[in-house]
Amino acid sequence: MFDHVLKKSVFGLVLIILLLCMGGIGFAKDIIIGGALSSTGVQAPLDDPGLRGAQVAVKAINDAGGLLGKRLVFINLDGKSDPVNVGNIAVQLIDKGAALFIAPCDFDFGGPAGREAQKAGIVGVSTCASDPLYSSWSLGDKQFTLSMWNTTMGATAAEYAFNERGWKNAYVVTDQFIAYTKSLSKYFTAHFKAIGGTILGEEKYTQGDQDFSAQLSRIKALKTKPDVIFISSYQPDLSTIIRSLREVGIDAPVMGGDSYDDPGLFDALGKKFGNDIYFVTHTWMGPEAHPDMPKFISLYKAFYNEEPDTSFVATGWDTVMLMAEAVKLAGTTDGAAVAKVMETHEFNLLTGKLSYKSSEEGHAPDKAAVLVQLQDGKPSFIGWRRPANPPAP
Amino acid sequence: MIGQIIQFTIDALSLGSLYALMALGLVIVYGILKLVNFAYGELIMVTGYTLFLLSGSPLPWIVMAGCGILMAVFFGILTELIAFRPVRAKSVTAVLITSFAFSTLLQNAALLFISPRSRQVPLPDLFTQSVELAGVIIPLRNIITIIFAVVLLILFALLLKKTVLGIALRAAASEFRMARMLGVPANLVISLAFAISGFFAGVVGILWLGRIGVVLPTIGLEPLLIAFIATVIGGMRSLQGAVLGGYLLAFIDISLNYTLPQDLLQFRDAFTFSFVILLLVLKPEGLIKGPATGQRT
Repeated sequence: MFDHVLKKSVFGLVLIILLLCMGGIGFAKDIIIGGALSSTGVQAPLDDPGLRGAQVAVKAINDAGGLLGKRLVFINLDGKSDPVNVGNIAVQLIDKGAALFIAPCDFDFGGPAGREAQKAGIVGVSTCASDPLYSSWSLGDKQFTLSMWNTTMGATAAEYAFNERGWKNAYVVTDQFIAYTKSLSKYFTAHFKAIGGTILGEEKYTQGDQDFSAQLSRIKALKTKPDVIFISSYQPDLSTIIRSLREVGIDAPVMGGDSYDDPGLFDALGKKFGNDIYFVTHTWMGPEAHPDMPKFISLYKAFYNEEPDTSFVATGWDTVMLMAEAVKLAGTTDGAAVAKVMETHEFNLLTGKLSYKSSEEGHAPDKAAVLVQLQDGKPSFIGWRRPANPPAP
Repeated sequence: MIGQIIQFTIDALSLGSLYALMALGLVIVYGILKLVNFAYGELIMVTGYTLFLLSGSPLPWIVMAGCGILMAVFFGILTELIAFRPVRAKSVTAVLITSFAFSTLLQNAALLFISPRSRQVPLPDLFTQSVELAGVIIPLRNIITIIFAVVLLILFALLLKKTVLGIALRAAASEFRMARMLGVPANLVISLAFAISGFFAGVVGILWLGRIGVVLPTIGLEPLLIAFIATVIGGMRSLQGAVLGGYLLAFIDISLNYTLPQDLLQFRDAFTFSFVILLLVLKPEGLIKGPATGQRT
């Protein structure tokens, strides 16, 4: 009998300790950043690098003494590339006390997290959603995206082609599958025309069957040869298109957006096909892009014991650093105060200098972009560009 | 003009050959079990990752390709042992779910242990060269694909018609219970069907990835979908139907690619599927009716 009571009380004690521990998460001197980045599913290639970068940043901040005297805790649950699941995770983590939220790198997948964060009155930042849909217009006055918008990305490509290289005629190829590829082509086309270029033709296709022969024969049949071919697509289609272009002897320069920033693409094109390709992306993994880049890379290596395999890892690091700096300046994690700082301050990040427009102007990110050139299958840094007057979304 | 016709023909035939092989690999299992193997696409993924993992090794490419096909065969048999055999006799729904589960398992294994991002597949120079025919440049791999497919289809037809194994396979496909009573070992025939299915997936993997140049965890989805549609067009139980369906689907796709105006091209799949629906309204059994049995085993 006594034994029974003892057992019960021991069990009770353990339960109480456990409860204290769990409750303690909310009471302790911690600032919780919630995340719903996907480690599985179609969104994983974009979210996983951001997640890795964010974890390195959280450790770096804690090693340097935390934020506002508190420890930073980053809880990310797998968003599973499912918008509904992403929304549920946001609700769950905000309930647990998340004061800031990191949303997946896409409007369709990240939007639900942004909406929940907005409802709870906290700041949410997407690591690299670049469609102008990801704005305070659609999500609310405390939501931001770390990425430049496609307006900037398209305009940067157009200005580089027309102003710096003197390419007057462009041909545009667009994958119709997702919003990102469609809007990127739209803004490139609009800006290229606005600064005086000519669009020879636009080619639309739907990804899937890995056959571009019809598109290629139309490009070959053009009377005026294009000076540049702008291709808005992503892997694995992207490497197929570029390879097929080069195979049939079309050697015009190829341009594109941040989906080109993928070592998988460089490898697939190799020395033979990886030539005369230029793309606009978030950053460059070298000291030319930012003096702090080598520090980030060495911290990353210490954390994961391997080199980062894409520059998208920097978007995760920057998201956390952006939040931390804004919280530090605001002196609180209160959503309205942090959002105010983000709207009024310029941040110097690994992915470029960043300031946001007001929430009436959609929190449009005013951000510089990096241009990278691919030659002999090897990428090299061209430089930072900030288009003077990107098209309106 | 002649150049264009040659180009169109080779494009349609090479894509059709790939689709036909994909469909054949799917239908060989369906014919016997009357069940779709939803983990079929992952066999193509397995081939790709085998090539990727071997890419650092000093082996000649042809050996790597052989290993890739062998791995697909191995995983084909594994699919049967893990996802089909334990629940096959009990419930269709269960097999549907286990084959989906096995597919998810393989995809996520690639995602976790390798990378969610694309990885390069080693290719021989032959796959990236092209030849000029009547003024148009044709990638050599399109011609290789056609030759390979035709040779394989002939060999497979001979296997089915002339060998004991082939006869057992065909018997099992048309009347499984009767075949068992006459001494055809059920488990062996089913495993064999999965092995052949894996072999086709492996060959398709090499040729398909030869077009793309990279492998991703989700690379198998499209081939599975294509194979499924091609078999539906051709007739779910007929091997010839699967081949015919594959070529027809590729022909429709490529014709639409060449002829649709730009504004409609983004809706190409809608046109393709309208054709498929029309075809099924006219011929609900598909183009070629298979052996007269609907009995699931």
